[in-house]
Amino acid sequence: MSFHYAQGYPGPGGGNPFPGQPPTGGAYTAGIPPGGQYGSAAPPSAPPAPPGYAPYGGAAGPSGGQYTGDQAPGAPYGGYGQPQGGPYGQQPPGLAGNVPQGVNPEAYQWFQSVDTDHSGFISLKELRQALVNSNWSAFNDETCLMMINMFDNTKSGRMDAFGFSALWNFLQQWRTLFQQFDRDSSGCISGNELHQALSQMGYNLSAQFTRELAAQHSPRGGSMQLDCFIQVCTQLQSMTQAFREKDSAMTGNARMSYEDFLSGAVARLM
Amino acid sequence: MAYHNQYRPPHYNNAPQDQGFLWNIFQRVDKDRSGSISDTELQQALSNGTWTPFNPVTVRSIISMFDRDNKGGVNFNEFAGVWKYITDWQNIFRTYDRDNSGFIDKNELKQALTGFGEQCYRLSDQFYGTLIDKFDRQRKGQVAFDDFIQCCIVLQRLTDVFRRYDTDQDGWIQVSYEQYLSMVFNVV
Repeated sequence: MSFHYAQGYPGPGGGNPFPGQPPTGGAYTAGIPPGGQYGSAAPPSAPPAPPGYAPYGGAAGPSGGQYTGDQAPGAPYGGYGQPQGGPYGQQPPGLAGNVPQGVNPEAYQWFQSVDTDHSGFISLKELRQALVNSNWSAFNDETCLMMINMFDNTKSGRMDAFGFSALWNFLQQWRTLFQQFDRDSSGCISGNELHQALSQMGYNLSAQFTRELAAQHSPRGGSMQLDCFIQVCTQLQSMTQAFREKDSAMTGNARMSYEDFLSGAVARLM
Repeated sequence: MAYHNQYRPPHYNNAPQDQGFLWNIFQRVDKDRSGSISDTELQQALSNGTWTPFNPVTVRSIISMFDRDNKGGVNFNEFAGVWKYITDWQNIFRTYDRDNSGFIDKNELKQALTGFGEQCYRLSDQFYGTLIDKFDRQRKGQVAFDDFIQCCIVLQRLTDVFRRYDTDQDGWIQVSYEQYLSMVFNVV
């Protein structure tokens, strides 16, 4: 179940390595964004949607489910809880001996520590134990399942090192966006911040709709953490694509039959 | 008319359930004796007939269907509903799993989904293929019991929301971008 929902999108996609990103020291804080490494072509500086995509705009954001083999040279994975990595997430050097070709060495080190049963695969349980939000809450099940489905190229409900390496890039890109859009550095995205984020990604959604979306995905009426942000944006990307297939004239309205509707939604199940 | 409750299990047995029998089951499933059955407890109690853990997404869907005050589990009264729901599905599944393999294939799925409730609305073979592709967690080209339930739950939710927009019941809807998003966002 891989989801090629990003195909045909004008966004920066999964193709941006992060050249020369400096090592980030403080692992868990959502404090200072490492700065601009999502590439100058990315939002917020340049909404990627050509004007012709009105009324709902082009959807930018990291794309998943594709194995581009991108490397992120020298970018330590600072963000998501490395169970054996100590508080600063630093890995002992020289572990990259047996890194499979096409797998990011940093991601591979993280893979080995997350794969606690040494099966060579990351299960849902292992992934859940490895990922935390900036408020230390564990990533929710839905987001973890969605990401496993996206990067499970073995179709076995778990990820091998290649899928995990792609997930690693995906997460880094979303974390960077999350920090950019968390304007007040509160560690979470408010309804207003989500609205700004989605407009800058090229979505033309009303403030009311976005507020409701944020409220639905913020546990206990609180704040939207990274996990829900990823979930919302990824689903939005995918559902926008489903709608667009039925709105070929780009009018913002679509007519669809019962089966059109069912299959469009089911095919994009996360 | 067009789409009846075809993805809900028919009630095979409307006789009141034996409370003593249910209470025994409830106590066995409620391992931590909290008076409430959690996702994990229910998952451990359920079998999909194939030695693999019961689909956690299905468990979550079922619990949330009966957990009235959103407490993250079901109490004894709510458990009666859960038990009936699962056994109704089990009866359906057994009816269509003719060879008792624990799986139903595309044709059996089609028969199962069109079999309960009059369905004036036809879905193509290709669509049933999509369903198998999406819900077959074990990658066998057919679906096990837990994935079958999940498939029906999703179809039911999508059908319910579609029906709300199809006011003239002709099987077609016209929706705006935001309407579409709000239709599908909470289902999938």
